[in-house]
Amino acid sequence: MDTLLLSRIQFAANISFHILFPTITIALAWVLLVFKLRFNATREARWMDAYRFWVKVFALSFALGVVSGITMSFQFGTNWPGFMERVGNIAGPLLAYEVLTAFFLEATFVAIMLFGMSRVPNWLHTLATVLVAVGTTMSAFWILVLNSWMHTPQGFELRDGVAHATDWWAIIFTPSMPYRLAHMLIASGLTVAFLMAGLSAWRWLGGDRSAGVATALRTGIIMAAVLGPTQLVVGDLHGLNTLEHQPAKIAAMEGIWETRSHVPLLLFAIPDEAARMNRFEIGIPSGASLVLTHDPAGVLRGLNDFVGEHPPVAPVFFAFRVMVGIGVLMIGLGLTGAWLLWRRRELPRLYLRALVAMTFAGWVATLAGWYVTEIGRQPWLVHGVLTTAEAVGPVPAGQVGLTLTMYLLLYAGLLTAYVVTLYRLARKAETVPSPRAVAQPA
Amino acid sequence: MTPFLPPDLLPLVFATLMAFSVLLYVVLDGFDLGVGMLLRATADSTERDRMVAAIGPFWDANETWLVLGIGLLLVAFPAAHGVILTALYLPVAIMLLGLTLRGVAFEFRAKAAGAEDKRRWDRLFFAGSLTAALAQGWMLGRYVLGFDPSLAALGFALLAALGLAVAYGFIGACWLIWRTEGALQRRAIGWARAGLWAVAAGIVVVSIATPLSSERILGRWFEFPNVVLLAPLPLATAALILGLRALLRQMPLPNDALHSLPFWGATALFCLSFAGLAWSFYPYVVPERMTIYDAAAAPESLSLILIGALFVLPVILAYTVLAWLVFGGKARDLRYD
Repeated sequence: MDTLLLSRIQFAANISFHILFPTITIALAWVLLVFKLRFNATREARWMDAYRFWVKVFALSFALGVVSGITMSFQFGTNWPGFMERVGNIAGPLLAYEVLTAFFLEATFVAIMLFGMSRVPNWLHTLATVLVAVGTTMSAFWILVLNSWMHTPQGFELRDGVAHATDWWAIIFTPSMPYRLAHMLIASGLTVAFLMAGLSAWRWLGGDRSAGVATALRTGIIMAAVLGPTQLVVGDLHGLNTLEHQPAKIAAMEGIWETRSHVPLLLFAIPDEAARMNRFEIGIPSGASLVLTHDPAGVLRGLNDFVGEHPPVAPVFFAFRVMVGIGVLMIGLGLTGAWLLWRRRELPRLYLRALVAMTFAGWVATLAGWYVTEIGRQPWLVHGVLTTAEAVGPVPAGQVGLTLTMYLLLYAGLLTAYVVTLYRLARKAETVPSPRAVAQPA
Repeated sequence: MTPFLPPDLLPLVFATLMAFSVLLYVVLDGFDLGVGMLLRATADSTERDRMVAAIGPFWDANETWLVLGIGLLLVAFPAAHGVILTALYLPVAIMLLGLTLRGVAFEFRAKAAGAEDKRRWDRLFFAGSLTAALAQGWMLGRYVLGFDPSLAALGFALLAALGLAVAYGFIGACWLIWRTEGALQRRAIGWARAGLWAVAAGIVVVSIATPLSSERILGRWFEFPNVVLLAPLPLATAALILGLRALLRQMPLPNDALHSLPFWGATALFCLSFAGLAWSFYPYVVPERMTIYDAAAAPESLSLILIGALFVLPVILAYTVLAWLVFGGKARDLRYD
């Protein structure tokens, strides 16, 4: 394998591992704030119980997000020097604003949020929680601004091959940014919803019927019921936006080889890149035309319009189906749970087991979604401006292979430790009652 | 956007900002990496918990200065950024491995299944801190000699690796003198006394090797009038080392007087050493190859960042002070409630 492919795999491994944790902390920070505010308002111990358990999950996820984020910040220079040399005038300020307005904020106030409850007045602790939540969301904002600019670049001019900014508002508010940001923030919400519901259901089935567990379980289910259908709408809008700006990606997602009307919505197929056709197609006639153009006879551009300039079809096609499939399951479970809570207030064991099975479904769907959009951008790094091959650095393939192996081993170990620790915390929590939750108004 | 500073001033401003971030990083993450390296100098698990508690609320924000420093290199001097980081490809990866292990060990050791599991994370905490410190020292040594591939230069990098690790251990021990009490504090005083000599030796070695390695730096240090202007730097360093030695011999003082002074003294030592290096290298960002003016990004982009930085950096410093006040005094057990 050459430096380019190894560097791409390494970047993918690093960012895939990294994104797992911000996906949890972005939404969990807000959920913790709600728990805290509910406790401030009601003084009911269950809110503080839920806070006390989930703040530990937050602390662990936050630490993993920080260290893997620092690794990410070095990848540009070590593996992709061409990226900064060519578009550094755009990417630089956006990354700098992320560090200045978000990274420091969360890193400093997270200490007060985690360890400061008994040292500072309650209002300051609540404020620290607010600032951490704002910081994680702002961090996501700036990163997605940069990522969106790479998909739909504007507001710049090329001088001697180097991008120079001409309009910062245009750079920040690119056409795909609002959709991508909303899609990712809701994905974070859904990931946390199913993590909370799944882990709480596991504790409930294991015999922990405490009020804090029930509170987290209900919160997770309600979040899923609200956010699942919302994500369906936002995802559809994001898709329409992609059709407008990156039609080759849509063609790969839907497995459309030839430009035509009445394009079927494929439920399953095996794209054959060599023969430039699908095998074993199962589809809904005119479905894709209906979804993407809102007209069953609508014409969609096929991959034949982008020969040599479209992404590899199979990974984009399958990743898209994984994401949508999990999304459908999430909507079904969320609405079922909300209906059960509304009607009977007693959740059947089968339903709880389904939640347990879906504990980490948000991770899988989020990663699948990112693979769709990022592999779907290939061969471009910055769409129409810079290819991945142009940006890669001069480091010998052997060294990249070595570091890639190191990262893969490290991440496998850390991911295992993370999941094992989550379940251990969940088990430990039931045997140790919270001594101060009732007495201490915090 | 029109640059609001003369364009030729911007690279200097950004070099200063970057140097400020790197210096803050070396002092701040220096003390917490140092404490991590000292973790296995005691077998007592309560003392270890107390040592980790002394840095727990700080490490995360401390590490952010590295991200800002490397971020400023990336955004202000994109050409140098690629050259430096590809030349240091493997040590950067090893440093990141160390920082990752150290960072996650904070959390995993606190949530360990039992004493044995906790000791395992302590080992990784120690190994991660040491690895990160050695890798940073190695990179510093490689950088100082302009990535010279000769065997002598690699030997110098090895010395720099050991030197920086020792310096981190020293400032870590000074931090513990300030933030702990009783038996652990007395141990920390012993560590600091031993560390001070190693730090002094390290400063002497680097001070001899650096001018010998480069005609340009030799001239910059010893030509008149530089030699007179520069004289306060080594004199102040020597005075500081002797003063710290006298102080550490008397410690602990009654009522724990002056308990923070060794840390501030160590910080001053770091600043003086850093000033010496900065003086030697200006205006180069890649020693002997690329000046900050060759490598600077477009003025419009730098201006935009500078405006943000001027507004935000004071705020960052203000809430950093707030966090230091909240977690001031002797370390207590870290609890989430």
